[in-house]
This record gives sequence, structure tokens and C-alpha cells, in this order.
Amino acid sequence: MRPENYEAQRHPPSHEYELFIGPNHPGIEGNYAFKLRLHGDRVIEGKADAGYLHRGFEKLMEGRLWIQNLAITPRICVPDPVPMEVSYVLAVEDLCGLEVPLRAQWLRVMQLELSRIAAHLFTFGGHAATTGMYSTMYWGVADRDLVLDLFEELCGGRVYHIYNIPGGVRRDMPPGFTERVANTLDYLESRLPDYDNLLFTNQVFVQRARGIGPISRQQALEWGVTGPNLRATGLKFDVRRDDPYLVYDQIDFEIPTEEAGDALARALVRRSELKESIKIVRQVLERLPSIPGPIRCPIPNPLAWNVPAGSTYTRVESSKGELSWYVVSNGKERPYRTHVRGPSQMHAVQVLERLSVGCRIEDVAQIMFSLDACPPEVDR
Amino acid sequence: MSALDKIQVREERLPPSKGQAQAGKGTNPLANVFDELINFARSRSLFMLHYCTGCGAIELPPAMTSRFDMERLGVQPMVSPRQADILLVTGYVSVKTLKRVILTYEQMSAPKYVIGICSCTVNGGMYWQSYATAKKLNDYLPVDIYIAGCMPRPEAVIAGLRDLIENIKHGEANSWKDYYQRYDHYLGNQQRLFGEDWQTPTNVIGEARHYGLFGPETLGAHTALLEQYQRPLDALDMKIEIPELQRFQRP
Amino acid sequence: MSKELSTWLDKLLQELEGIEFRRKSARRLRVDVAPDALPALLELLRGRASYVHLSAISCVDWIEEGEFELVYHVWSYELQSLVSAHTRIPREPGRYISVYDIYPAAGFFERDIHEMFGVWFEGAPDMSKFILTEWDGPPPMRKEFDSEAWVNAHFDWQDYNPEWLQDLVAQGGGIAIPPDEQRFSRRNVDET
Repeated sequence: MRPENYEAQRHPPSHEYELFIGPNHPGIEGNYAFKLRLHGDRVIEGKADAGYLHRGFEKLMEGRLWIQNLAITPRICVPDPVPMEVSYVLAVEDLCGLEVPLRAQWLRVMQLELSRIAAHLFTFGGHAATTGMYSTMYWGVADRDLVLDLFEELCGGRVYHIYNIPGGVRRDMPPGFTERVANTLDYLESRLPDYDNLLFTNQVFVQRARGIGPISRQQALEWGVTGPNLRATGLKFDVRRDDPYLVYDQIDFEIPTEEAGDALARALVRRSELKESIKIVRQVLERLPSIPGPIRCPIPNPLAWNVPAGSTYTRVESSKGELSWYVVSNGKERPYRTHVRGPSQMHAVQVLERLSVGCRIEDVAQIMFSLDACPPEVDR
Repeated sequence: MSALDKIQVREERLPPSKGQAQAGKGTNPLANVFDELINFARSRSLFMLHYCTGCGAIELPPAMTSRFDMERLGVQPMVSPRQADILLVTGYVSVKTLKRVILTYEQMSAPKYVIGICSCTVNGGMYWQSYATAKKLNDYLPVDIYIAGCMPRPEAVIAGLRDLIENIKHGEANSWKDYYQRYDHYLGNQQRLFGEDWQTPTNVIGEARHYGLFGPETLGAHTALLEQYQRPLDALDMKIEIPELQRFQRP
Repeated sequence: MSKELSTWLDKLLQELEGIEFRRKSARRLRVDVAPDALPALLELLRGRASYVHLSAISCVDWIEEGEFELVYHVWSYELQSLVSAHTRIPREPGRYISVYDIYPAAGFFERDIHEMFGVWFEGAPDMSKFILTEWDGPPPMRKEFDSEAWVNAHFDWQDYNPEWLQDLVAQGGGIAIPPDEQRFSRRNVDET
């Protein structure tokens, strides 16, 4: 007996065949599966198969204290864990009415943007690897490691930081940190021309990525596409601008868009966003010395903390799109309900299925990586 | 006694002396030389099947690429389980993934090694309350090395791999034999989780006989259930839906 | 023009019967509707008030009251505000109508809520199992499902008997509560 959902969807006519691009596959980001029906090399239908990473997060969070949940929230989205933490913490602060000190808000912005830089570098590598250009993956992972070094110095963990707590951040920057961040940003910005030569203006990649998985504006709005994928269709929508949180309304940054809506446009949008994130972190580093003060506001004893009853919905722009949390409290020391809406819940499932129809089989992996679909967010 | 005296000191591992003949090998002294050479060569060229089962997979690219460079130890990523030596279970395994991990493990050819990365494979880790993740990986598969961490740094992954390389060199990484020798135990745990009619396409008992590892614990109550629920794995029934050819179809 | 639209929306919502609404902040508006009025409200919001983006559909299990609360969060790019439409359906039949025809993005959320809570959405394009394909227990997000009890019944824990623990046991100490009886998360939930 094979696992239950190995059964074929239906009995296909003889010129079609079904191909399971199963969980153990280099063309799939993370642990995800995709069932294709093919006619020769063309995909006729695709069905996404999630659930390989399901941990029952929402149930787990209901059984832990508010402060204990901080340890597991970053693990919902593996490549880009910081927006998860920040949005959960913003929700708790909203429920309690906590006033976060200004310095902590700026530190949070720095952390979010550094995480966005790291996630985009990883995505460049992933997207390029689906077209066979593995050097970019090596470069992207190596450059991302420099950012992870910064995180390790700041919070103690390379990937999962648990740096935010309701009311602020855990600790302040170590001395000399500002110079190291500035050096890393200078280095990353000097690498962008190299990435352009290798990837973004390289005709091998451009010819492969142009016209793959095009989304029109109408389709994007209908299917609930958010984030860089939406901006690649030409719409200038960004949660940091439309629904500002933390101190984004005091920071000057552009929202890059492209027109074509295909895989190449999405890659170019991410590249521009990387530049913008570097700009934002530089502004934060400039402002931080002039904002002294505490890095957290006083909170009651976190082990015996009854958060007031209510519900809240926080939205944050992660590197993949709009990330939101719906948190309900009934006045107890544990959350009553936390619902995570990750951007990949739209991208990896419905959008991927619709975009893969009509494309060739070698482009399926590229569509998935160009949408930056992150399976842990889908399954939670 | 102070607390310091109670700390265990890790003894240096002594290699087995060359003159000892292995059990069942006869008294030909040259047989050992080949075995040791093969073990040495095998330990230095491992193909790793990077089945990114969970969170820990994000620290594998840094370990594989230029900064921490696993390839200088001879460990190279490989896509297909048929040609891989090591199954890296990076992170927690949900029940759905565990079925595929077992299928993948059985597709690998012997000798094969399993490394359980992250604390979730050890004892449930951070998701110990979760209804959807497996808690103890070596209930379902024999595991050679666990690398604890949440998640372990690339240096920790490489240290674990070096331990595995040492074990293989000394001929101690034989957990794959345990799967054949105690198949009933593993199958029992698998059936307890997946249901009584759990089956895989691999004929593990036949393989156990082939490798000469068929032991008293290979068969048991759980393998008896295999025969009971056995379904032949035949090809899918193709129906041709062309009306003109309907009259030729089998009734 | 957007400012007029939002005041128009506030006035309209005030006049409709059966709707209770509360503006929580400049960009968050909470609306409580009866279950049969909700799809009409969503269609109105989408068609006339530019709320084209369905951000999420959440389901909350109020087990004491015997109801499921479904919350539809819709966002307008033009007005830059979020409307959360809350409605309650009885827990027992747990059926509701799907809004897939209004918002295609609802397909994912309804399928997810169906798997996790057991709520059936009529008219949804695909209600087949998605994440929990190999799960044969009750819908896990319901409050009566105890995840920890399930884990203790179905899984084993690692045997961990290191030498320092054996020494302690030899001296008369040891683990006071064995792992099977430690229920960390549920111990005090009824006492607080």
C-alpha cells in the first residue's frame, strides 16, 4: 500500500500521464509536493499537495503561555522568521495596550529589514538554481551568511532569533555593532553589480525567466496575491506604506514595481527591494544614536500574565507578502486562538496551480521559486 | 566530591587491532585489509540524500556551500535515494512525511546511514505536544547519529558528519543491519502510527534473507499482518474512453 | 475621494439593520453580522466599497457557547482600511455558505477550516483533505481535542537513562513525576 494520496486522480486518456513531483525533489522549495498531469511536455493540470510540514501550530500555541509562544513563532516561516515574531508581538501589544519605546521600534525595523535582505538573497539563489545556474545559489547563501553573522551577534541565534518580546526587544546592540552592519551593507551593495552580471542581466537567465508564469493585475487582485509578486504586476501596494506599523511612516523608501508580472519581473522586484532594504537599514543606523532610552517597556510577570480579552488583526510585510495574525484572547494566560495567514497560503496553492497550467515541465520549478512559495507557512 | 570530579571525560576511541578476525570471516588475515580499505573509502565518499523534512533544512545550504564546505569531507548532495548513502532527516518529521521518509529509506541500498538532525528527531523537540509530528525517530528507522540543536549550526552538522565518518571507518555504523534483524519491531511501530494495513513496496524480508541478516526477530506478529493485508501492486487500470473502441473493451 | 467613501461606509453600516459595528482604529473596523447577511455584506463591500482583497478567514471555536465564530478580514487598497466581519454559526451542524464566488482566495481558507474544524462550506469548489490527508482523528483544532493526550497515547518518548541519572537513582533520588504523567500545558488551566 502506498500512502493514501498516492492514488491517481483519475484515469487519464492515453496521451496524458501523471507525474508526482514529490516531497523529495530539488525543484521544490522545502517539503511540498505537486501532482502534474502532462501532455508530452506541457502541463495540463497541477494539484498542490501540502501537509508535509504540518505541526499543528495553532493548537500548540493555545497550550502555551503568551511568552512561551515566542519560542515557536519564528519557526512558522523558516527562511524569514523575523516578521512572524514581530507580528505576533505587535498583536500581543495591541491587546494589552503596551507602548513600545521608540528605540525598540527602530531596532525592530532594522531586524525586519536585515531579515528581508537575507531572505531575498536566499531566493535569488533558489530561483537561479531552477534555471540551472547554481553559482548564484552559492553566492546567495554565502552572502546571506554574513547577515546571519550579524544576527548571531545581536540575538545569539543565526536563524531563529527570539529577539522580540511583548513590550520591546530583548537586548540592545552590542558596541561596535553599527560599524559591522554598515560594513556588511557596503559589501552587499558592492556585490549587486556582480549579481547583475551573473543573473539579472545575464541573457541565459533572462530568456529562461521572461514570460514564465505571467500574472495580470486583475488576476493578482482576484487571487489574493501580495508582496513582491503583486508589485511585479505594476501595483504599488506594500503593507509598510498602506498600513504602517512600527516607524515605517518616518522612513523614506521607494516601492519598486515592474510591469510584466512574469518570473523575470518578480526577480527584478526582489533585487530592487534588496537595495531599498539596504537604504532603510542605513537610515535606521543613522537615527539610532540619537534615540536613547529603554528598549522595553515594563510588562507584568510573563509567567502569570492575563492578557485582556479581545481580538486583533496585525499585518506585516514579510519578504514573501502580507503576513497577518488574528489573535483572540479571553483574558487568560494562554491565547484562545491564534490564526496565522502566511502569504504562501495563496501563492503556493491556488496561484501555483493556476500558473502551471500551460507551461512546460521544466518551468514548473521556476514558477514555484519565483513566487517564493514557502511551504511551512502553508502547513503551519 | 566536587562537581568537577563527576564530569565524564570522553575517552579517545581506540581503533580495533588489525590482527582480530571478524566473526564469520574465516582466518584469512588479508580479508581484513580489504574490509578496512573499503570502510575507509566508503567513509570518505558519502552521498547525502538531502530530504529537507523540516526546519533544519535551512542550515544545510550553508553547510554544503563554500563557507562551511561539507564537500571537503567527501559528503556530496545527491538527488536520488537509490544512489545515496546517508539519509539526512533534517528537522521534525510530520506523520505524512514520515511515511515518505520510510519509503525513501527502504529504497536506499545497503549500507545506508541515517542522521537525525535537530532535537525534534530525538525526543519531539519543540513540537512535543503536536499531534502531527513523530517524536522518536529511531522507533521507525534505525538512526546512526543524532545531532541535537534547534537548529544545529553548520559546524555542528559537520562535526556530526565527522563522527559518522569515524564510525564508518571503524565498522561501527551498522544500524542498517538492525532494520533487517529487527524488522518486526520497526514495522510494529510503523503500524501503530499508520494503521494496520501499512505496507511499503519494498520486500524487506526478502532483502534480509539476501543480505544474510534474517534473524529470529525479523518476523513476528506485525509482519504477519503484512501478509493479511497484502495487495498486489499492479499497474493502474487504463480505460480508453473512445466510443468507437468501446466494443473492444474488456467487460 | 477616499475619505468620502469611508464616511459613506460608516453611515451605511450604521443604517443597515442587524449589523453592529465598531471602529477600533483608523484602519480597523469590526462588524458583527447575522450569518445570513454576511455574504451580502461581503458582496457590497467588494463591489461598491473597493474591499477587493480577502486577507483571511479565521474560525474561532467558542465551545462553551456552542458556536463557531467565522471572521472574514477584507482589506481595501484604496481606502487603506480593514473590515473584519464576524459572524457566529451554531457548532452542531457546522455548515455555512462559501464565498468563493465573491473572493476566489477564500478557497484555501474554507478548505483549511473544513479540515481543522469540521465546518462544511456549501458551494466551495474543493473540500477534499489537503493538509491532514493522513489523519484519521477528529478535526484537531476543535477545543475538545486534546493534543497532548493524543500524543501520549500514540507516541513513545526517547529512553534517556544516562549515568548521572542512574547515580542519582542509586543514591535514592530520581524523577519525581514520570514523563507520562507530566502534563505541562494543562496542569493549571482550570485553576487560574
